[in-house]
Amino acid sequence: MHENRPSRAERRDMRKERRGSNKKLTPTVEMHESEATQTTDADEVSASDPPVADHVLPPARQVNRRSGNALRASLAVVGGRAAGALSRRLHLGGGTSIAGVVAQGLYPDIIGHLSTQLKEGSILVTGTNGKTTTSGFIAAVLSDAGLRVWRNREGSNLTRGIAGALVIRALPNGKLRRAGQAISIFEVDEAVMPRAVRTLPTRVAVFTNLFRDQLDRYGEVDSVLERWQQTISTLSPETILVLNADDPTIAGLGKHFAGRVIYFGIEDRTLDLAGQDEANERHQVMDTRVCPTCGSEYTYTLRFYSHIGHYHCPACSDERPKVDVAASKVENESFDRTRIRVELPGQSGEITVPLPGLYNIYNALAAIATAQALELAWEPTVSGIEGFKPAFGRGERVQIAGRTIRMLLAKNPTGLNEVLRTLAANGNQQHVLFVLNDKIADGKDISWIWDVDFEQALANFATLTVAGTRARDLALRLKYAEVDPQALVIAPATPLRAERKKAPVTREHARRGRQRGNHATLLQEQPENKIYGISQALNSAISRTPEGETLFIVPTYTGLLEVHHELERRGLAPRYWEETGP
Amino acid sequence: MSEPREKQAGHELMTLRLGHLYPDQLNLYGDRGNILTLQQRCRWRGIQLRVIELGIGDALDPDAYDLLFIGGGQDRDQAPVAQDLYETKSIGLWAAIEDDMPVLAVCGGYQLLAHYYRPANGPDLKGLGVFDAWTVHRGARAPRCIGDVAISWQGQTLVGFENHGGQTYLGTAQPLGKILKGFGNNAQDGTEGATYRNAFGTYLHGSLLPKNPHFADHLISLALKRSYGLSWREEWGTNGHTWSGNGHSDALDGKLVGLDVEAEAETPGVFIDPLVTLTSLDDSLEWEAHAAILERLGLSNAAIVALRSR
Repeated sequence: MHENRPSRAERRDMRKERRGSNKKLTPTVEMHESEATQTTDADEVSASDPPVADHVLPPARQVNRRSGNALRASLAVVGGRAAGALSRRLHLGGGTSIAGVVAQGLYPDIIGHLSTQLKEGSILVTGTNGKTTTSGFIAAVLSDAGLRVWRNREGSNLTRGIAGALVIRALPNGKLRRAGQAISIFEVDEAVMPRAVRTLPTRVAVFTNLFRDQLDRYGEVDSVLERWQQTISTLSPETILVLNADDPTIAGLGKHFAGRVIYFGIEDRTLDLAGQDEANERHQVMDTRVCPTCGSEYTYTLRFYSHIGHYHCPACSDERPKVDVAASKVENESFDRTRIRVELPGQSGEITVPLPGLYNIYNALAAIATAQALELAWEPTVSGIEGFKPAFGRGERVQIAGRTIRMLLAKNPTGLNEVLRTLAANGNQQHVLFVLNDKIADGKDISWIWDVDFEQALANFATLTVAGTRARDLALRLKYAEVDPQALVIAPATPLRAERKKAPVTREHARRGRQRGNHATLLQEQPENKIYGISQALNSAISRTPEGETLFIVPTYTGLLEVHHELERRGLAPRYWEETGP
Repeated sequence: MSEPREKQAGHELMTLRLGHLYPDQLNLYGDRGNILTLQQRCRWRGIQLRVIELGIGDALDPDAYDLLFIGGGQDRDQAPVAQDLYETKSIGLWAAIEDDMPVLAVCGGYQLLAHYYRPANGPDLKGLGVFDAWTVHRGARAPRCIGDVAISWQGQTLVGFENHGGQTYLGTAQPLGKILKGFGNNAQDGTEGATYRNAFGTYLHGSLLPKNPHFADHLISLALKRSYGLSWREEWGTNGHTWSGNGHSDALDGKLVGLDVEAEAETPGVFIDPLVTLTSLDDSLEWEAHAAILERLGLSNAAIVALRSR
């Protein structure tokens, strides 16, 4: 990925990746405590004093420290860490979640107990899309600035993930190891945000965006917003809010906040959708359209995607706030290199964002704004972002049989529309494998696929494979978008039970078969289309991708885990980790 | 019943006009899938479906449409919609429904066609009372009805996904179907949805029509019957063309292929409209997706039956 000689920060990153590599050999679904060992690295500890060390922490709602609590905390730490170790030993998973579950079971307030020991406080990142990448950017910037960074990783962002991340860094006496120089970054599920700010001393709260996502789990967009508003009303004014000015719902969160707010946004007018395809604009999914104050529909002078853009309410004074961190110019250098010009109060500079898509520009801006909130220098901000390694499934790259595989997670209509748009910008004739699952982590309601603009993307597909527990639904969606059936292979997770049984041929059945005669189905004509499971789907997709070309895998969250599992099983994921070395 | 539409001189394609109510406000759960399904299933039979979007402030002329669709939205978006529906469109919508126009109302749209929707907090939203039913939201603490759902309808199954906080209670309204698995109107009485004449209200989305091609075709044939009347057979249906492709227009040949006269009333066990039977399409994928939902709900026998509809 890096043509030039790697910078110091990049070399350090690469060492980290290598060190993490033997852990990756096991089929784990989560990253785990590697972060804790990495941060003992000499060149990080010896780095100059953290520039933010003398900041005062907001008074977190302290837990009543009754005498028994220290004992319970140490019990919880020992229990949690033992469970985590056992889980890793048995290859059940990374062990972070289970450590959190056990620790919380033994001492429900373990997060509050441990987190108040964090001297540099915590950064919370929430929002529908971009949590993981944004916190990845922030972590890279902070560690380049010489801070010891702790994170909950790999989308394990429910409270048990937070608890786990703390417990694995705690000593049996209930004290955190080397908490003095540590700053923690937690990506927090939208719905967990209220609980998270109650227990974590929040120094910076970052809100990326709000789209419809997993309606079955979070209820509707409005109910998430309501929770967030309550959350913010409980924050201490010492907390700094980092908000996306271009998302009206997010920007609105800052209106009644007593403390400092830093807004980020894009100012490049050439990215306006209206200047592009009209049909493209019309079919965008809009999850926020009315002004919360007066109920009028927002007017947009610029729209970048979905409801993200420059807006104002025609009836009342509500409008996009003035931004503190702005991308004034966005230039695509290649598929995953975008050069942006960033305007900050009193200075400006250029950064190359090493990830595809406009949504990742927003993630980078959120990280830059967070660096501003912590008053970090510009250099670590640039080196952190430019040296960033794509997070799990967010653009990562694997070589397989002469083909390149790139994974682009998409878990809601706006996310998938943006992925399709990013693919389109990469030229036509793409090879794509979609994995649509409907497990709890994906959201059980998949009706959103009907809001995705596959019609616009048809010209860009050379071959298509659909897999996952809801492959049939996605195939149906593509059928109604009139995808060429010859280009489509369907690989559902399992065969139908009814197909496995030999269905009795009734008289009626036989007659109707004759009657249709020439209606022989595609599936009957092409028995090779009857394949099942992720492994066969992957084989089929790879075999139809010519050598030297790229196969894009676009999975939902658990689909991503399955694909990763499969690549690890084939010994490919470790090879990928080795490859990122110098 | 309205007068059968005149055959337009020089027009070879039959046309249906779909009024899509509040596409900007009520579009939460893949409602576009329902529109797309109607549009494509018409197109694949050589029928043109024109979609006319009806937003807030637009009047509803009952003679300007052949069928209507209204989707679901968030509470915040529903209040202005409820007001507009009541003030601007109620007379036109009532006239259309009393004139047997097929209307599909999903989730929020269904609630607004009943008497009222009582939100967890805030004033009631007044509905049109097309269905003698009402909806109460028991507050944020009451569990939402969320999950895959299957109902029996006209001897066949309908599958979908439901996600609603409001509980709907039927007065004299007939339910759309009986719950086989899932919650339905209120998780208590085993009913799902409501019908009045050719208006159908339901909580099933997912989207509803793609995985229930028989229900989509039912709506299309009701619209054809109503708008083209009994004279369709002489004017349109004598061609006897059958459909052979998956949306590829080789069979069009400038001829009329929308209706399959020979198949009429011959297929027992399958719901057949006595007047109009649409040309059958290759629905294997639709029925496999349908059967997959039935199987995950544990309705294996229903799944076998559904697969036979392929």
